[in-house]
Amino acid sequence: MTTTTALPAPTSSFTRLRRRHGWLAGVVVLLIVFVVLRATQIPNFGGFELRTILAGSMALAFLAMAQGVVVISGGINIAVGALMVFANCLAARFMLEQDALTATLIAVAVIAVCAIISGIMGLVITISGVPDIIVTLALSFVIGGMALLVLPAPGGGIPLELQPLIVGGFSDPLPAVLWLTIAFVAIWLPFKRSRWGIATYAVGSQRNASYLSGVNVANTRIRAYVLSGVFVGMAGIVTTAFTGGGEPRASIGLAALLSSVAAVVLGGVALTGGSGGLLGPILAALILSLIPAIMLGFGWNPNYAEVARGAILILVVMFGGYIQMRKRTT
Amino acid sequence: MSTVSTIDDAATRGRRMGRMLTERPVIVLSAALLVLYVVTGIQDPSLFTAQGIRSTLLLACPLAIMAAAQTVCMLTGGIDLSSAMIANFAAYISANNAGAGPLQSLGFAFLVGAVVGLINGVGVGVFKVNPLIMTLGMSSVLVGVVTVGIVGDGFLSGSSRLLPFVKTVGSGNLFGPIPLNATVLLLVSVALLYGLRRTGLGRNIYAVGDNEPAVRLAGSRVWQVLIAVYVIAGILAALAGLMFSGISGSVGPDQTNSYLLPAIAAAVIGGTSILGGTGGFAGTIVGALILTVLNRLLLGFETSEAVRQIIYGIIVLALAWVYVRLTGQRAD
Repeated sequence: MTTTTALPAPTSSFTRLRRRHGWLAGVVVLLIVFVVLRATQIPNFGGFELRTILAGSMALAFLAMAQGVVVISGGINIAVGALMVFANCLAARFMLEQDALTATLIAVAVIAVCAIISGIMGLVITISGVPDIIVTLALSFVIGGMALLVLPAPGGGIPLELQPLIVGGFSDPLPAVLWLTIAFVAIWLPFKRSRWGIATYAVGSQRNASYLSGVNVANTRIRAYVLSGVFVGMAGIVTTAFTGGGEPRASIGLAALLSSVAAVVLGGVALTGGSGGLLGPILAALILSLIPAIMLGFGWNPNYAEVARGAILILVVMFGGYIQMRKRTT
Repeated sequence: MSTVSTIDDAATRGRRMGRMLTERPVIVLSAALLVLYVVTGIQDPSLFTAQGIRSTLLLACPLAIMAAAQTVCMLTGGIDLSSAMIANFAAYISANNAGAGPLQSLGFAFLVGAVVGLINGVGVGVFKVNPLIMTLGMSSVLVGVVTVGIVGDGFLSGSSRLLPFVKTVGSGNLFGPIPLNATVLLLVSVALLYGLRRTGLGRNIYAVGDNEPAVRLAGSRVWQVLIAVYVIAGILAALAGLMFSGISGSVGPDQTNSYLLPAIAAAVIGGTSILGGTGGFAGTIVGALILTVLNRLLLGFETSEAVRQIIYGIIVLALAWVYVRLTGQRAD
């Protein structure tokens, strides 16, 4: 930053590219480093390992997208973890001993239910004027309780023939890549390019200004929550397919929530809203899921992964805060 | 903060009620507690006996102290989601050092709370990290540390015996229906009520929650206030953890986790605004008592943990909504 008071020189296209996508490029590099690191730890790295990495991180990737949409719209969704657990329990309970077709319909229904619940959260937030954090925190406990009502103890199931279609078979990483790509290309990109998407970014960066320029702020925020619910529902279905059942423990939701926030922050979406995209969070989710495996590969206690995840979240957010401070003083 | 009570003559009864609730929440809440107590007692007469009062107080005291941690954070507009894990960790540390005498055992437990609180405070105060994110991340770090500590030959393994002092204070009896841990709550509440109302730090805590830029411009160092707040919250959480372990007679890696939302709920019910600047500890104590009696009422109807969670969540949301309505402090 220069100290001159003259008009800023027109930024070159390279500078603009660096400013816009610099963080994302860093995330990509970090992901490549982590994948290479993991690959060197295993003698013959191949489809099986890729499938393990991708299938294991898919739920978190969807959850990161769910968190990302809401954060871009200027809020934060504390209920993503609990809602994912709820979707998991709902799917596992009703898919047990069903044929593949019925189970697929149930999966769609579960995603719809999640979208509705999440939309109701958005509605409550906009009507009540209570901060996002409080509403979603309070409702995350309500949703966690509902999950326990749906499935009081671990159990349920999913048709065996459906599992490989969602998370991939023994050494088949393709379905995981396919579903993530579909969610990103067929749902997020059209949304981002649409009027709704532009309104979401506008509301996230300057709520009052976008209100004054005629954006329907309440509807835009509710829409972000509905889309978030869709992604959470997908995360729940993926969890069901990956684990082959339902697990109503609230601690799973808490860990998932934390990882989703970490992925969003690491993925370059500012918690203040209005910037970033969903590609960063998806890649960041892959990075975060690789940490325990790499730690195990080095012979470290994988329980430290929880410590690492929390520390990464704090450090990344602190780094962001530090950059903000630098900007303010210059 | 200012409690100028100029009652508008034209104000409707409801609005006067609302003002009463925001300015003198303790009176309204105490009435609510009394009603709830009688209703619960009719449904479950054992509540009216000395034993019933004792068991209510025994559970309400540690909850009130856990809620005290949330109250001081919420007064500055923050929240401490790591307090449950601080409580668990501190209880473990205390039990682990039980053999080395009470001074070391308790000292280390409070040190853990203070250090974790200090890190939280530095993150929130100096690096401007969102308090929710900061304490959530800290909670995850502590989950990892405790898990690593208790598996195999970790540094927390073998901590199964409590310090006798913790057990005595946690579950002993003072006289009649008053449990011994009520004295701890009494000491904490005297310190907090005095500290928040009468000391410079206390006034700064309210001021930071009310209008942070103004406090900064007035020359107070906001970051120091925030660090102090989170250190206090950490120490209070550690104290709550010791008291909970005294009741159960054991330590566990997630023993106080189910008290985190009730603690936040107690502070919210007690009239402390989650947006900061208004509220106080007196309301929180009544809030903790209300929740404990409510818990008993729900238990009487043989509701499951799931239903109770749902009811807690709805109560917190509904009250936050009511307070936002009454104070006109909309987040947008």
